[in-house]
Amino acid sequence: MLIDHPLLGPRDAQEFVILGDASLIDRPDWQAGDAAQRFHDYQHLRDNPAGEHRELWFHEQGDRSWLVVTRNTLTHEVVKVELARDVAIARGRDR
Amino acid sequence: MSGPFRLDGGALDRSRILSFRFDGRKMIGHLGDTLASALLANGVRLVGRSFKYHRPRGVFTAGSEEPNALVELRSGAHREPNTRATVAELFDGLEAFSQNYRGSLRHDLLAANDLIAPFLSAGFYYKTFMWPKSFWEKVYEPAIRASAGLGRLSGDADPDSYDKGFLHCDLLVIGAGPAGLAAALAAGRSGARVVLADEDFVMGGRLNAETHEVNGRSGADWAADAVRELASMDRVRLLLRTTVIGAYDHGVYGALERRTDHLAESGGKPRQILWRIYSRRAILAAGATERPIAFGGNDRPGVMLAGAVRAYANRFAVGAGRRIGLFVNNDDGWRTAADLADTGVDVAAVIDIRDRAPLADVPGARILMGGKVAATWGRRGLKGIELATGERIALDGLAVSGGWNPNVHLTCHHGGKPVWREDIAAFVPGGNLPAGMTVAGAANGNFTTAVALDDGHGAAVAAVGELGYSADAGDSPRASDEATEVSAFWHVRESRGRAWLDQQNDVTVKDVVQAHREGFRSVEHLKRYTTLGMATDQGKTANVGALAIMAEQTGRTIAETGTTVFRPPYTPVPIAAFAGRSRGGEFRPTRLTPSHDWAAERGAVFVEAGMWLRAQWFPRTGETHWRQSVDREVLQTRGSVGICDVTTLGKIDIQGRDAAEFLNKVYANGFAKLAVGKVRYGLMLREDGICYDDGTTARLGETHFVMTTTTANAVLVFRNMEFARQCLWPGLDVHLISATEQWAQFAVAGPNSRALLRKIVDPEFDLSNEAFPFMACGMVNVCGGTPGRLFRISFSGELAYEIALPARYGEALMAALMAAGEEFDAVAYGTEALGVMRVEKGHAAGPELIGQTTARMLGMQRMVSKKKDCIGNILSERPGMNREDGLELMGFRPLDRSQDLPSGAHFLATGAEPATENDEGWMTSVAWSPELGHAIGLGFIRNGHARIGETVRAWDGVRGRDVPVEIVSAHFLDPEGERLRG
Amino acid sequence: MAEFALAPRSTLGGYAETFGSVTLAEVTGLALVSAAVPNGGDDAFAAALAEGLGAARPATGDSVAGDRYGARLLGMQPDQIFILFEEPDPNRAAETVADALGPDAYVTDQSDSWAMLRIAGAGVRAALERICMLDLDDAAFPEGRVARTVMEHLAVIVLRDGADSFLLMSPRSSARSFLHAVAVSVENTAG
Repeated sequence: MLIDHPLLGPRDAQEFVILGDASLIDRPDWQAGDAAQRFHDYQHLRDNPAGEHRELWFHEQGDRSWLVVTRNTLTHEVVKVELARDVAIARGRDR
Repeated sequence: MSGPFRLDGGALDRSRILSFRFDGRKMIGHLGDTLASALLANGVRLVGRSFKYHRPRGVFTAGSEEPNALVELRSGAHREPNTRATVAELFDGLEAFSQNYRGSLRHDLLAANDLIAPFLSAGFYYKTFMWPKSFWEKVYEPAIRASAGLGRLSGDADPDSYDKGFLHCDLLVIGAGPAGLAAALAAGRSGARVVLADEDFVMGGRLNAETHEVNGRSGADWAADAVRELASMDRVRLLLRTTVIGAYDHGVYGALERRTDHLAESGGKPRQILWRIYSRRAILAAGATERPIAFGGNDRPGVMLAGAVRAYANRFAVGAGRRIGLFVNNDDGWRTAADLADTGVDVAAVIDIRDRAPLADVPGARILMGGKVAATWGRRGLKGIELATGERIALDGLAVSGGWNPNVHLTCHHGGKPVWREDIAAFVPGGNLPAGMTVAGAANGNFTTAVALDDGHGAAVAAVGELGYSADAGDSPRASDEATEVSAFWHVRESRGRAWLDQQNDVTVKDVVQAHREGFRSVEHLKRYTTLGMATDQGKTANVGALAIMAEQTGRTIAETGTTVFRPPYTPVPIAAFAGRSRGGEFRPTRLTPSHDWAAERGAVFVEAGMWLRAQWFPRTGETHWRQSVDREVLQTRGSVGICDVTTLGKIDIQGRDAAEFLNKVYANGFAKLAVGKVRYGLMLREDGICYDDGTTARLGETHFVMTTTTANAVLVFRNMEFARQCLWPGLDVHLISATEQWAQFAVAGPNSRALLRKIVDPEFDLSNEAFPFMACGMVNVCGGTPGRLFRISFSGELAYEIALPARYGEALMAALMAAGEEFDAVAYGTEALGVMRVEKGHAAGPELIGQTTARMLGMQRMVSKKKDCIGNILSERPGMNREDGLELMGFRPLDRSQDLPSGAHFLATGAEPATENDEGWMTSVAWSPELGHAIGLGFIRNGHARIGETVRAWDGVRGRDVPVEIVSAHFLDPEGERLRG
Repeated sequence: MAEFALAPRSTLGGYAETFGSVTLAEVTGLALVSAAVPNGGDDAFAAALAEGLGAARPATGDSVAGDRYGARLLGMQPDQIFILFEEPDPNRAAETVADALGPDAYVTDQSDSWAMLRIAGAGVRAALERICMLDLDDAAFPEGRVARTVMEHLAVIVLRDGADSFLLMSPRSSARSFLHAVAVSVENTAG
């Protein structure tokens, strides 16, 4: 399996470590009134779609970038690869 | 002549005479022979016994699809069972042995199985060995094991070496027959990077077995020239003797190259290489496999596939018999008759099931259109056949062709399903091919040479065109079209005797019918119930015939019946090839500490800790038990000073304007206010609130910290911190880099540690308790100006330091510390003494941090800051993790101080039954404390702090222990910490 | 004068061997320092590189030569480069770079973290093919290209420093296993 790294081109998945659902970027606000419920959902409730899925992969044996890989879980087709840092900033995690 | 059945011609090097043995009998063959062709040339027809019934069997094919001719190759530790004689290249000195018999191959005692065959039909095992239940282990299994299996393993370690490798190409061409060669030529000439792989030891595929012409010359000659041209191209890689075994994601293919299997000696080089091939496009030109027709006694040695008989005659110059008949349902089979007649072999008859005009006149042969073979005779080899009409024909070879099956296997590795093509009566690749793959030639159902060449050429022009190369569309090689008509025909109803479908697994037409009768309707169930299509050949010659029978039974079409799923590998791969170099000591890399050689020279005993080798203890002369060494190391350290290499701890260099704020987020406790020059213990939680690592972090400067992690979690902590940095708080200015390998770090512990360090650290640094107190850190120079770092931290509970120098000085520093410590009788201590001292101090470590451990269990709940956001703090507040009667880390000592303690024991109240509902916790770590003079333990027990002084039982059902223990504080020594502050 | 002298030791004891067309040798005497780019400080970082090392900032996966210290700058991560250079006093490696770049970079000494091997000769790619999953073809991995990858379970930084020459860096603690892995690859493909 290959992951088309946005900076480095296609690299063997063996260089990477997978974490899972990219929703882990959206860590809740610890001071929210319902923080406990939000953290519970964040930690334990994940989608596991048969089809396109956004996943976090770490290029551990490479440039140490965390990536958001959009992958079809049925065909293994990699549709899109982004730097997770860019995704996080775009989602408002600038602090 | 190398054997009585040797013909003229062929592609052998007759100047090279190779001597070999089969079952001890010496024979000769030539370079270019396979073991099968050499055996046939020497008139050896009986080469093995079948799996279940021990029927005599001979060579059936001329390729990797062979079901019968399985032999043991080589001897001693090199012996390899279940090797196909049809692909084993002959070399001088080859030794081969037939397999699967008791007694001798000719007089196999287990041939009696064949007489009781009516009782051994499909599902026999499932039905017979059901009762009585107690018989299974003691009677049935040993008996079955003794008679099952084919060849024998040597029982010795494999003496050969194996390797792996990685190849990259624009286009991978799988198969070097006409389609593959045409594809590779077109792509290679365009400048594309090409890998061309073929399982044979000569490229050319069927061109080498046929008398076809390409571009007006013999096909074999054209193929040889094509290979020469390809070999001259820099960007073309030819992989001979290489089977592409599987299609994996994103254009990755696995391939096994047999490098030295054809040589008597490997010459110290790897025997086989397992390649991972990264391709942008792939063309599957894997050809087709001929299939038989089932009829009574069709497994007798001498019955062979027609294409194989032709290959033996044309390529290997071997007559598969002296008088050969043909039994076919298609035009292609007639070519065997023609080629045999041309090479001078007597053709007895051509029996074609089709009612039509004969295709050709074969000199001397009877032509029987609409004929069928119903039975055969001959005890250990074919002597004649009987037709459905009852007529008997004496002959010693029968070439059978039931049509050809495209080799679609690799098209199915990503879930693709082959589709049935009525006009050629065969499955061809369906949709859903692996991305980037196209199929050409016979593999795509295009059986003629002309179309195969065109198809391969066109597929390559298109594939490399997509990649920006322009290949000449007009230079496809030319050939003429052969007749290939086929009429679907699977088995002779008038058969007398058993009609075999799968010769490797001894499955007959009757077995398939019976499986259907018993309710096995899915092809996958049929396969499991009858074992059809299993084992080394995976039913390459058997499956489609069996599907057809199944379809007949169910009244469905073959298309509706479908195939079983094709999975890698295409042909068998030795486990050793998958292992590659990862054997024995090379199973994984070894990490060595800077003082490794120093310790090894002093006879240290090492322990594996992950990939690390760490000194476990340092035995001294006269010490006969590890406890003596460990006790001495502990007492000496606590009494004076000890030195331990702690380099293995993970070290992470953390810098940035927001580094302190970042640490506040990844540690449960606060770090923002840590002063420069100070160290703090830190506890790390997972987001679910569970403790997963701990360590110390030192502040070297306003924007510069260095963190330590446990040895085991160094990689994980780094990964998690990168996640926090890039994904959770990308706005923070913080940067990480591992410094684990950069620094050699030693713990110097014990009351004399300061005195020892005063001799090492340059005098301008004040090491007094006032200037450099507990939890201080700083840059120091050592031994006259070598810059290093000093930390006043203690894992042992003693006055202690950790000193770090660049790793290149590590070994020298160890020696210097020991030399400086001589006057204090300093001792080097290993991980065992380290462990004893940490248990004495009640420090949690790996056995306590088990993925379920909360801060409260460790008595650290107050460390989890509620005033800041940090990973894990919200979910660590969940009520279930903070129960008042929850597990708490406590110390334990045996009531009878002479008893040792069992690690892993569960705590039970006195008198309580050992049952889950009575479980109160468990012992996590135990040690023998030389200072206290008795065993001590750490463990988790419910509501422990409130129960100090209570007696419970440490019950260990596995080791049969039941030890009364007293609950005490986990801090066995110096609970107030006076020593480490002194 | 200190009572105890410390002698440094190279990771692989100055290993050097020739197998057919391939030579394999430990590289010693080079300093290696990482420099991370402060958030938002890209311009200042580039200016500091130009000023202090006479070099441009390499893109991740590329390397550039600097005018000073015989330096080569390796683009390792989006916000981090490695600087490989000649340093007469190895004890000052980090300081040299810190002095050159000033406050516009976070520097960390990596000189002792990595064992360095140079593999060179006509058969170099055939040897590396057995352990390196990267495409080292001229087009895909030209001179000056750098990558961190994994070989035989070990982290390796690969720098192509010549037509037929690669500098390989792998963690010091496992350097003997790494040397063994590379040497076996050369032996398996030599001759």
